[in-house]
Amino acid sequence: MTNRLIYAGLTVVGLVMLGPFIWTFLASTTEGGVVSWPLDPSLAAYGRLLDTMPFWRILINSVMVAVVSTALQVVTSAMAAYAFARLRFQGRDAVFVVYLATLMIPMQVLVVPLFIEMKTFDLVDTYAGLIAPTIASAFGVFFLRQAARQVPRELDEAAVMDGAGHIKIFAFVVLPLMRPALATFAIFAFMASWNAFLWPLVILRSPEFMTLPLGLANLHGQFTTEWDVVMAGSVVSVLPILVVYVLAQRHVIASVARTGLK
Amino acid sequence: MTANSLFHMFHQEGLMSRGRKAMAAFALVALVATGCAKGSATQESSAAGKTTVKYFTFSAAPDHVTDLDKIVKAFETANPTITVRVETAPYADYFTKLQTAVAGGAAPDTFELNYENFVSYATSGALMDMSAETAKDDLSAYAAKSVEAFKRDGKQFALPASYSAVVLFYNKDLFDKAGVDYPTADWTWDDELAAARKLTAEGVYGDFQPVQFFEFYKTLAQAGGSFFSGDGKQATFDRPEGVAAAKFLLAKPGTVMPTVADIGGTPDFDTNLFKKGKLAMWHNGIWQFAGLKDVPFDWDVVVEPASTKASAVFQNAVAVSATTKNSAAAYKWLRFLTSSEVTAQTRVATSWELPPLADPKAYAGYFEQTPPANRKAILQAVDTATPTPVIARQQEMQDIVTKALERAVSGKSKVEDALREAAKEVTALIK
Repeated sequence: MTNRLIYAGLTVVGLVMLGPFIWTFLASTTEGGVVSWPLDPSLAAYGRLLDTMPFWRILINSVMVAVVSTALQVVTSAMAAYAFARLRFQGRDAVFVVYLATLMIPMQVLVVPLFIEMKTFDLVDTYAGLIAPTIASAFGVFFLRQAARQVPRELDEAAVMDGAGHIKIFAFVVLPLMRPALATFAIFAFMASWNAFLWPLVILRSPEFMTLPLGLANLHGQFTTEWDVVMAGSVVSVLPILVVYVLAQRHVIASVARTGLK
Repeated sequence: MTANSLFHMFHQEGLMSRGRKAMAAFALVALVATGCAKGSATQESSAAGKTTVKYFTFSAAPDHVTDLDKIVKAFETANPTITVRVETAPYADYFTKLQTAVAGGAAPDTFELNYENFVSYATSGALMDMSAETAKDDLSAYAAKSVEAFKRDGKQFALPASYSAVVLFYNKDLFDKAGVDYPTADWTWDDELAAARKLTAEGVYGDFQPVQFFEFYKTLAQAGGSFFSGDGKQATFDRPEGVAAAKFLLAKPGTVMPTVADIGGTPDFDTNLFKKGKLAMWHNGIWQFAGLKDVPFDWDVVVEPASTKASAVFQNAVAVSATTKNSAAAYKWLRFLTSSEVTAQTRVATSWELPPLADPKAYAGYFEQTPPANRKAILQAVDTATPTPVIARQQEMQDIVTKALERAVSGKSKVEDALREAAKEVTALIK
């Protein structure tokens, strides 16, 4: 009986969470984007979406940028995390605190200096300029450092006995045991890149580099907006991240379960 | 399981080679990312003897990108040594992008501005003074008023590119059903309110005019008031004319028009209401024409009711960046973009606002298109256009006025008090 109550409660909460997505989908299939009863579904908005923007190009851009940015972030953050967790060097903690403090500076403040920096490197309107500022992530370093510190030092010592140096210890002892944290951070990084708006808006000029959030924003006119097309774009842009999330989430749960057995 | 055997297990599984492969893959992706990253823009500008002019615009996307392409192609055919590269951004985000580019010293050669933003860009020195070019040039093709609007201290900082006007839309079927005469150019506020009351019925609203800054400065002018004092140093919209204008706007919500609560933030609430035939009169812009092509009822437009006619006309302009290296080519492109026959025809044919040209022939065909039948109302609106009040801190001023009106409409403060406070705040903004 209590189980049923719990399920009923969870179903209601689940529906509330799903509500916006369902509404988005319905609006994308309704002329003008205003959902009313009875439903009059049509896929016309999806057709217009493909007509008004080079959708596939934009999708590929978004995927590529997100994958590259995530991969680089995971690598640099994991390496820095290992250094902060395992190496002893002068001023280590001070550097770490300064590094963490950069988390407090919002992107809006950084936009103009970053833009000038990218312009100096001649990277305005390039994929490199788009990705460069995301490569080093203070949050990632902090997050993975916590995970690295939880790996028992005895494992390192055993590896040293076997003649392993830092590179081997990092790659074959610490890194594999950090997998759940890596997966979790990868999801965060992927989502951040996928949803990034301000920096891509500012740094990109050419339509062929456009990412999905920019493409979606481009559907709004100065005076009018076709909401059904905007909603269709939202639906299509949510799908890939949903897939990534579901896949990675299973991986996270599996990894957590495995490490729990140790 | 000891740590030692764990290490050996990983080793034996061949994780090392897998790890190496992964590293190699990362390196490759990074290479691809930097290698193929340069846009075609840089390739084009390196072509021999060609000048590339970048043009940044908000009014092309999403519906008129191909129309703009047509104009660009025509220009490039006429000027084979110049290549125009178009960059677009949505209106809501356009100025974030432009501001960063200007601040970062990487402004596009030419860019679009609306009238409100033109003033702050011109005063900040971001725009090239075109006077040297315009002195050699004949600008008589443009409507004189439009050219004048984009001058500051006698210097031409931008060329007019397009305009839209606000008129009164009305649903003829609803007027017929309620037995009310159609609105005419002679209507006053009282005529409008009286008709709105008669037209409001079960499920049908008589009128719709948003209660915000843009409607207020216009109704203020219709009441014979002025937003600023003569020297422009003081906000004067709290005088009796302003109170009358605000009261006219506030008389509608909840009686002949849905309230803010009814609308509840629904996007395009009024557009859909009108399209469904549930709204008799609607204050809105000519950009709605295209969307109303297929509605199943008769409708028309008329210049907005008022005893002293005053209309809102939204103008967009194009300017050359102060930092461009291609000023001659940039100016040439803007002249073509704003006044060529191709542009005028494209704009008219695709309902992409209107070209700012003096010669009525430029609009050939526009006034014959229906609906609405009374497109000439646009010309009346232009003749009685009242300029948007503009200061450097534009957005803050607009927010102050709109919020004051909202306080008044919700009954939180008296109209007079809300306006007096707002005027004080705006005066402080100017200083």
